[in-house]
Amino acid sequence: MLRFVLRRLGLTLVVLWGLATLVFLLIQLLPGDAARTAAGRNASAAQIEAVRERLGLDEPLPVQYVLYLGRLLHGDLGTSVFTTQPITSDLADVAPSSIELVVAAMLVNLVVALPLGVLAAVHRGRLGDLVARLVAILGNAVPVFWLGLVLQFLVGARWGLLPISGQLDREHRVPTVTGARTVDALLAGDPAAFGNALQHLVLPAVVLAAPFIAVVTRTLRSTLIGVLEAESITVVRAKGASPLRVVVRHGLRNALIPTTTIVGLQLGWMLGSTVLVESIFARQGIGSYATAAVVQTDTFAVIGVVLVVGVVFCIASLVVDLLQLWLNPRLRTAAR
Amino acid sequence: MSAPELSPGVPSGPAAGVGAVPAAAGPAAVPTARRGRRSLAARVVEVGAAVVVGLVVLVTLVGPWLAPADPYRVDVTAGLQAPGTGGHLFGTDAEGRDVLSRVLTGGRETVLSTLLVIAVAALVGTAIGLAAASGPRWVDEVLMRICDVFLSVPSLVLALGVAAVLGPSLSSAVIALAVTWWPGYARLVRSVVRDTLQLEYVAAARVLGVSRARLVRRHLLPSIGDTLLVQTTVDVAAVILVISGLSFIGVGAQVPSAEWGAMVADGRSYVVTAWWIVVVPGLAIAVTAVAAQLLGDALRTRLDPTLRNRR
Repeated sequence: MLRFVLRRLGLTLVVLWGLATLVFLLIQLLPGDAARTAAGRNASAAQIEAVRERLGLDEPLPVQYVLYLGRLLHGDLGTSVFTTQPITSDLADVAPSSIELVVAAMLVNLVVALPLGVLAAVHRGRLGDLVARLVAILGNAVPVFWLGLVLQFLVGARWGLLPISGQLDREHRVPTVTGARTVDALLAGDPAAFGNALQHLVLPAVVLAAPFIAVVTRTLRSTLIGVLEAESITVVRAKGASPLRVVVRHGLRNALIPTTTIVGLQLGWMLGSTVLVESIFARQGIGSYATAAVVQTDTFAVIGVVLVVGVVFCIASLVVDLLQLWLNPRLRTAAR
Repeated sequence: MSAPELSPGVPSGPAAGVGAVPAAAGPAAVPTARRGRRSLAARVVEVGAAVVVGLVVLVTLVGPWLAPADPYRVDVTAGLQAPGTGGHLFGTDAEGRDVLSRVLTGGRETVLSTLLVIAVAALVGTAIGLAAASGPRWVDEVLMRICDVFLSVPSLVLALGVAAVLGPSLSSAVIALAVTWWPGYARLVRSVVRDTLQLEYVAAARVLGVSRARLVRRHLLPSIGDTLLVQTTVDVAAVILVISGLSFIGVGAQVPSAEWGAMVADGRSYVVTAWWIVVVPGLAIAVTAVAAQLLGDALRTRLDPTLRNRR
C-alpha cells in the first residue's frame, strides 16, 4: 500500500515535470523574439534587453531550461504585460472567484446527475432512462458558450428572473476580501448581499455544469446497473429488503466508487471550462483572465493559466486515486 | 475490481464518458414484447442521425453555392433584421450580413477543421498506440507517460495555450487541437491491440512465422478499424465543441469569418436585441454534434457483434 502511494506520487511528479517541459518547448515555438513577447508590445529596446537578461534568454537552450524550471519551482510564472503584475499574484487574486463558481457548478452537477443516474438505472428502458439519455446527448452537444448566451437572453433578459452578468449588484457594497463574493458577503455579515451574490452565481454555475452532468449520469447509470445485477443484490432482495434500501444502501454504495473518480477529475476540467463561461457572465476568475490575456496577446499569462490548471488537475487526480484506495477495500488488497 | 489504475489522466474531454460507457448498454434486459418497438424507434433515430450527418456533409461540400446571399457583404442599413424580414430567413447580423448564408458558408470551416483535427489525431494516435502495444516494454512506458503529460491538462486549456503561442487563427486552433487530441487515440489503440495480441489467431500467426510488419498490417490493424470508426464519429461532437469554443474565445477563426463559433462570438453583444445571430450558428453546432453522437452509437451497436446479437 505504501509502495502504491509512493509510486503514484512519483508518477504525479513525472507528469508535472513533463508538463513543464512541454510548456518550455511550446515557448520555443513562439514566433519571433521571446523577450519581446515577454516584455510586451510597447516595450522599448532597453526594456526588451532587460527582460532578456533577467530571463537568461541569451544563454544556451539547456541553461535556459534549467533557469526556467528553477523559476517555476519558485512559483514565478513571469510578469503580465497587461497588468504589469507577476502572473502568479494575478492568478491568486482571481482564483477564489473561480473556485466559488466551480464549487457551485459541482453542486448543480451532483444535485441533477445523481438522482437522474439512479432513476435511469432503476427504470432502465423507461421514461427516466430516456430523459437521462437525452440529457447525456445534449450535454455533449450543446456548446457551453452558446448555452450561456441563450440563458442570458431567456432567463435574464426576457423573463427577468436572474441577473445576467457580474457577481454582485452595485447597491450591495461588500469589502473585497477573497474575491469570491458569496464568501465576502458572509464575512461582512450581509445576508442581502449574500443572496444577491448567490443569484449571480446561478446561471454561470448551471452553464458550467451542463456538459459534466451528462458524464456523471452515464457513469452512475452503467455502474449501478452492473452492481444491481450482482448476486449479492439478489440475496438482499430475497431477504425482503425494500427496493429503496436495495438501491441506496447496497447499490449506490458500490456504484458511487467509480462515480467519485469521475467527479474528482471533473473538478480540474471545470476549472478549465471557466475559460468559456466566466467572460460571458462578466465574472472575475482564472478563465476570464485567460481570455482577456488572449485578447491582449499576453502570451505568458495564457501559458501561466495552462500550467496552473494542469497542476490543479494533476493534484485532483492524485487525490482521487488515493481516495479510491480508502473508499474501496478491494483496491487496498490489490495495492498491497 | 482489478489492480489500481495508475494513470493520472482521463481519456478525453468532459465527453470521456461517451467513449468509456457503451451508450446502448441496456437492450439485453428489455422484455421480448417491447423489443420490436424499441428497435423500430432506434432505427428511426439511426436513420435520422445519418440523414442529418449527410446534410452537414452536403453543407460542407456545396454550402457556399447554396447560400442565397454573399455571406461577407456588409450592408449597415440592413443590420439586425429579424428572421423572415427583408428576404433573410434567419435575419441579418449587426453588419447586415445574411445569417443563413453565413451559417451555410461557415459550416465548411467548422466541419472541415473538425475532421482535420480528428484525422491527424487518429493517425498519430494509432501509430503511437501500435508502437506502444507491440514494441518493447520501455517504449510502451515512455510513450504512455508522454500521453499522461498531454492528458494532464484539459484539452481546451492546452489547445488555448498552443494556439495563443502560434498566434490566433483557425489553422492555429486546428494544429493546437490535433496536438492535444492524439493521446486519447494512442491509449484506445494500445488497449485494443494489447487485447488482440492475447487472442489465439495472433498466436497462431506468430507460430506460422509471420513477420512483425505483416502481423501488424494483416492481423492487428483490421481489429482496430471498427473501434476507430466509432470513436472518430463520436469525437466529431467533442472536437466541434472545442474548436468552435476556441474561435469563440478568440484564438481560432477571426472576424469576419463565418466559422460557427466565431459567429456566436460576433453576435454575443447583441444577444438581448438580436438573438438570432447567436442562436442559429449555435444550433448548427449542436445539431451536428447530436447527429454525430447518435451515428456513433448506432455504428457501435452495429459493428460490435456482442451488442448486435443482444438486440
